[in-house]
Amino acid sequence: MLTDLTDEQLLAQALAGDEDAFTALYRRRQGPVFRFALHMSGSSSIAEEVTQDVFMFLIQRGRDFDPSRAALGAYLFGVARNYVRRALERNYAETALSSPVDDEAQSLTVNSDPGEGIARQQASTAVWKAVLSLPEHYREVVVLCDLQELTYADAAEAVGCALGTIRSRLHRAHDMLSRKLQHSAAAAPGISSVTARCLS
Amino acid sequence: MTCREFEHRATSLTLWELSRAQDQQILGHAGGCQKCAAWLQQQRMLAATMQTLQARTAGCAAGPDVERALLRAFRQGPSQAVRPEMAHRFTPIAMRLSRFFEVGAYVAVAAAIVVGLFLGVQLWERRSVTLPVQSQSAQPSASLPSVVAQESGSNPHQQRPTVSRSSVNRLRPRHVLSASQSLPDMAEPSQTSMDADYVALMFCDPLSCSSDAQVVRMELPSAGIAGSGGEQDAQMRIADVVVGYDGVVRAVRIVN
Repeated sequence: MLTDLTDEQLLAQALAGDEDAFTALYRRRQGPVFRFALHMSGSSSIAEEVTQDVFMFLIQRGRDFDPSRAALGAYLFGVARNYVRRALERNYAETALSSPVDDEAQSLTVNSDPGEGIARQQASTAVWKAVLSLPEHYREVVVLCDLQELTYADAAEAVGCALGTIRSRLHRAHDMLSRKLQHSAAAAPGISSVTARCLS
Repeated sequence: MTCREFEHRATSLTLWELSRAQDQQILGHAGGCQKCAAWLQQQRMLAATMQTLQARTAGCAAGPDVERALLRAFRQGPSQAVRPEMAHRFTPIAMRLSRFFEVGAYVAVAAAIVVGLFLGVQLWERRSVTLPVQSQSAQPSASLPSVVAQESGSNPHQQRPTVSRSSVNRLRPRHVLSASQSLPDMAEPSQTSMDADYVALMFCDPLSCSSDAQVVRMELPSAGIAGSGGEQDAQMRIADVVVGYDGVVRAVRIVN
């Protein structure tokens, strides 16, 4: 069964021309790559474009992947990171003019309780805006470690820096996020109430 | 455990590990230190808000079109599939080109404004230089013999068709001024004695600076002279007549 194979084994089979192995690898890994790009850019169209580019890159240059250096997941995040940067540079004008987070917030949230849903939506929109307002090198470690739940070692491999750098960036990013969210909570009290419910 | 040790230990944990901290040393220190307890609580709040975002986007994935496009590319093989980085490599150049043309458009507009201003200034200077020359050549005593009308009709209004529009235009503003200066009621103290010889006719509007005037030398019958207060006899008189652009005679000067 293809689902029992590791990422590296699937990649090896895909590079040998096995379409099913490539499909299985894509279906396993496209979600995290898409969400990474979505969290980084705030735009689902950019995220789709980046996802396609990442797997095209894997088709073209998959043989360059060295399993001894990092896991395939971290490698794909590293490739995605570069494509997100390029996409953000290219689409800077459009993303700056529109408010993609608000647009995505409209389309992504589904909740059974309307009151709870609005409060959660406010909270998640506030935190997403706060994440997007971070400088890029802080944002990527927050997305990788806090939202994609990568280990520090994998995040260091994806970003291409030392483990200590990831820790210090993350520590600084958390301080910045906390300050931004306190401002948001002061403006919209629903955010803090949702947070309190989450904690309890 | 000191605060420094607490910070070092806490930053080695991820946000999720910290929010679910079971580490007795961390919890023990946070129980006794308000500052570190506040920091830990802040991290937990942050983890909770992050959780809302994570939950909201957990089901997000690329659409089926992406998978189809990738499978098509996969079937083509690595060597034939379009390299995605090629498209990105060209995009910055396209951006640079578009910026270049955008800047070029601004430069073109600025250049057009500068050229327009330059031509306007040149035209204005040329006009200001040529007009005094025209006014000198348009002095009634000096230039008017060239437009002397040879008709001997008694009605000055009949002279209008003999004066071409082009000659009128050539004699425009300064000539008007000199002609109007010759009218007695508008005369200035510096007026020459030759201009002072003109006699303004009654019931005519005075010449304004913007109107045109033409001085025509003509032979007038003595009856016309008598109308303007002259002495009546059988001899024909040669006179310079200031004719307005509307064809109405404004002033007369007897030459002989």
